[in-house]
Amino acid sequence: MTPVVETHGVGKQYGSLVALENLAFSVQAGEVLGVLGPNGAGKTTAIRVLTTILAPSSGSFSVGGIPHTRPAKIRRLVGVLPESAGYPERQTGEEYLRYFARLFGQSRASAQEVARALLAEVGLSDRRHSLIATYSRGMRQRLGIARALVNEPRVVFLDEPTLGLDPAGQRQVLSLVRRITAERGATVLLSTHLLAEVEEVCSRVLILNRGRLAAEGTVSEIARRAAAPRSARLRVAAEHVERARKTLTASAGIEQVEPGDGHLGSLIAMLDGSASPTAMNDGLRALADADVQVLAFELEGARLSDAFLAMTEEA
Amino acid sequence: MASAAPTMPQRRTPGWAIVGRQELRDLWLGGRGLLLGLAFSVLLSTIAYLTATNQALNFLEQRESVNLTLQVAIAVGSLLVLLAAADAVSGERERNTLETLLVTPVSRLHLTGGKLLAALSLWLAAFVITIPYVWFLGRGVGVVRDALATGIVVGTLLAVFLASLGIIVSVFASSNRVSLALSLFLLLAVFAPTQLPGSAQKGWAGELLLRVNPLTAGEHYVGKILVSGHAWSEDASWLISPIAAAAVFSVAAAIVGARFIHLGRGGS
Repeated sequence: MTPVVETHGVGKQYGSLVALENLAFSVQAGEVLGVLGPNGAGKTTAIRVLTTILAPSSGSFSVGGIPHTRPAKIRRLVGVLPESAGYPERQTGEEYLRYFARLFGQSRASAQEVARALLAEVGLSDRRHSLIATYSRGMRQRLGIARALVNEPRVVFLDEPTLGLDPAGQRQVLSLVRRITAERGATVLLSTHLLAEVEEVCSRVLILNRGRLAAEGTVSEIARRAAAPRSARLRVAAEHVERARKTLTASAGIEQVEPGDGHLGSLIAMLDGSASPTAMNDGLRALADADVQVLAFELEGARLSDAFLAMTEEA
Repeated sequence: MASAAPTMPQRRTPGWAIVGRQELRDLWLGGRGLLLGLAFSVLLSTIAYLTATNQALNFLEQRESVNLTLQVAIAVGSLLVLLAAADAVSGERERNTLETLLVTPVSRLHLTGGKLLAALSLWLAAFVITIPYVWFLGRGVGVVRDALATGIVVGTLLAVFLASLGIIVSVFASSNRVSLALSLFLLLAVFAPTQLPGSAQKGWAGELLLRVNPLTAGEHYVGKILVSGHAWSEDASWLISPIAAAAVFSVAAAIVGARFIHLGRGGS
């Protein structure tokens, strides 16, 4: 299958400042690719390069098979919701979408149709004649996503689409992201700080750090690769605490067992750094054999957030 | 969410026309243009009243009052155009609306063209507002037709020059405030020679200064036609500078717009 986005050693420099260095990855059609990274990691620069707003200083890329040397053609294939996008306050939602549909080559009549259909899709039909000035932040973000779809793009770039939204607003935006891939078959590149939403909607993840690609893979691959479990937090029946502590301490690969904070019966088992990633399985087996009732269990250091922190702090 | 093939129809209307139409809607239906037009007509009413009353006292000859009113209309109309143009790119950048325009297939040249067109509409509106004042002040001395004709020619040349200048400043300015301030400063610099004493405007150096400056040259030409009653062709050489400024600056604005529109700090 030919990748819909493909980059080869893409770099971007502003004078002596390296914003992006040797970025190489590919995205298949229909994927939702999460682009993660701390502030200044190069996420927005990468999106601006791939959407042809900025020319790369080095390397090459293609979108939908179109090389980066033909930016006008690429722009016809992509939809973009920039970070902190602004909106003309004195236009209505419908006028705004109609204008962009016209900029993408639609006739007046079809631009009107597209605007109405998209407003319905993002749940803004009833506000289509209201000035954008009266829209909430969540409504503006949905309008921005609708604008990114006016040209039926093959690739949609969403730069921090949930920034500043309340949980309900975030949910609506994430639901739209899922529908873009499921119903339109478009590829989505989602840049975000919120790791939970990446775990929820992204099929693959890129982690950028200081302009470089720190990791690439599925959420579970990255979590496994970068953040082997360091400890386990468990809760046992209160009367079994002492037995559990002794059993775990005797188990191979567990270095130390400490009382956990919070509930009575909670324990933290520190894993031996050189132990196998499955060391805790043996400990759990030993607890079962010792007839200890385990009420809750969680491996720490096996989540995307741990991988993210490990990869971005190390570099 | 309806799925559709990513094939878009070919653009029937050029990008500059679509951008220009939307800019005109924003300017005029958004109320900003109407407000500026209202302020312009209040100013012109005041000028017309003062010149008409002076004329009644024989301080100003009728032709001179038409000339003064027309020159004020051209100067203030050009100022409005400059202010609108100075906001064209830096304003979009500051409102975070530029990036969404740059990711459309419309070229930066067309974006510039559409914005220039919208800014120029302020001059056309100013000229239309000026017509009844010129007619009222110039009726009976056979100067109305010449006044309107020279007004539209000279005013349009100066408006194109200043709109282009405003666009260029706006493309490079680090903020909208800087763009507006710098544009106003440049306008004042262009206006400065009009305030020189009459003696300084005489001699070859004085005449050169008047001829090189598109604003003073244009206003001088209008005065020659309206006050001195010269034929259009007699002093046509005074139009060289306004024509050259309009041509050079509009080409420069096109090149600058096409090549240098950027997102500003952090965005290139």
